[in-house]
Amino acid sequence: MNACRRVLPLIETFVDGELKASKVLELEQHLAECELCCERVRLIQAMQVSTRRAVRDDAQPSATLQARVQNALVAEREREALVEASFDEHNRVLPWRAIMPIAAAAAFILVWAASVGTPPRPRQNASDEASLASSTTANVEQLIDEFVNYHADDPPPQVTEPSQLLRFDRTVGVPVRLPSLQQYGAHWIGGSIVPVRNQRAASLRYKLDGHRVTLYVYDSHRFPLRVMLEPRVVRNVPVYVGNRHGYSIAAVEREGVGYAVASDLNDRESAELVASIR
Amino acid sequence: MRRNQKRQNQTAASQDFEQEALSHLGALLAVGTRLTKNPSEAEDLVQDTFVKAMRARHQFEAGTNMRAWLLRILTNTFINRYRRGGLEKSVLEGPDADPLADGWVGTATMEAMRDPESLALRPVLEEEINDALDELPDEFRLAVLLADVEELSYREIADIMGCPIGTVMSRLHRGRRLLKSRLYEQALAMGIVSPEPVVGNNAEAQADGSPAPVDLNEYREKKGAVG
Repeated sequence: MNACRRVLPLIETFVDGELKASKVLELEQHLAECELCCERVRLIQAMQVSTRRAVRDDAQPSATLQARVQNALVAEREREALVEASFDEHNRVLPWRAIMPIAAAAAFILVWAASVGTPPRPRQNASDEASLASSTTANVEQLIDEFVNYHADDPPPQVTEPSQLLRFDRTVGVPVRLPSLQQYGAHWIGGSIVPVRNQRAASLRYKLDGHRVTLYVYDSHRFPLRVMLEPRVVRNVPVYVGNRHGYSIAAVEREGVGYAVASDLNDRESAELVASIR
Repeated sequence: MRRNQKRQNQTAASQDFEQEALSHLGALLAVGTRLTKNPSEAEDLVQDTFVKAMRARHQFEAGTNMRAWLLRILTNTFINRYRRGGLEKSVLEGPDADPLADGWVGTATMEAMRDPESLALRPVLEEEINDALDELPDEFRLAVLLADVEELSYREIADIMGCPIGTVMSRLHRGRRLLKSRLYEQALAMGIVSPEPVVGNNAEAQADGSPAPVDLNEYREKKGAVG
């Protein structure tokens, strides 16, 4: 009688296989003489099996999802190779296509340099700095900075008529169409051509619920923003997201055209906005 | 040359990692679906998790449980994305009377609830379980998913949820309890079990010599306290 009450709190831990040996003994002794508690054990076990089956049966991965994830991993490997290639360029070692994150690559190069008896070169001289500046990662990092700074500066737009945007195509090198963000209640204010990293991008300024939103349109081959931003998926769309100087930035790539939103919205909202662009 | 060798090793290691990670796709999707309660958001969450895992793969300690590691990434991604303030917590504090967990339901009722005869009702039951899970607060739901669906240890669950083992145990207990009482009500509604004669003779409980009457007294006390 009291025995049941005493062992009741042990039953779940016992079923989970996490009960201390000494307590297991006590419980097993009780179970040998108490059918009710045995049934309690069996019910918990049965519920575990049912829960497992219910949850698994309700979510079988489709072939589409499998392919999606595999594609995402391939894209991630390509991104790593890109980061690495620019890293190699900076370190003046022969380009090699291995698949490692940048930190691992750095560690490896240090180890390798040490193993052949050459101390790792500190980045001091001007030519090294120059090569760093020309490397992709540094380029992209700087580009993101410029996008965010330009958004923060908020200069008056060069054009305010959507039809005038047609003239932007040639300068930017990709078609500049005005994405309607109306479903989020955004109003277009105007657009400008922005010089960034010796290239040109179109900047489209919107107002959304008291927030300023700048949407950049650019050639995604020249500006691979994904290299330095965190990958995320929003409604099946791969988005690259980050935060700089208190602003969020989110980018997508579509058929060679890059779109990046810089805003004071949070990164989730920016990601949502940019993912909606068709 | 040594570098080439090393590169090849690393590429091979990376492929192994990817392959093993992908073998857990089903587990991640199952947990992700119940966490987001939305199949397409779950797929986004899962894809996100894989890419993050790929980026962080050098942090994975070989020989440890990769499924647990991936589930931790999935959980953190879920919290960052949908629950900025941390997991949604239970508003149901304090003990609410639950016939099964409090132990005043007899053997026959429990047996009926897990009786193979009711297997015909399995689809209904499974739907009921998923609905019941969806209604649990995040932190209870996650504990139940990690323990009962993914069969992780208390230690692994504590690591994923970032809380002490004692907290895991109590979340698990509460989650299961809510689940059980929901299923009990369903079983009552479907006529799989009959209501326990809580007042007066509990002939059945006494017949099989179980100590149910004591528990019944406990229940009566509770009833007395309420009404």
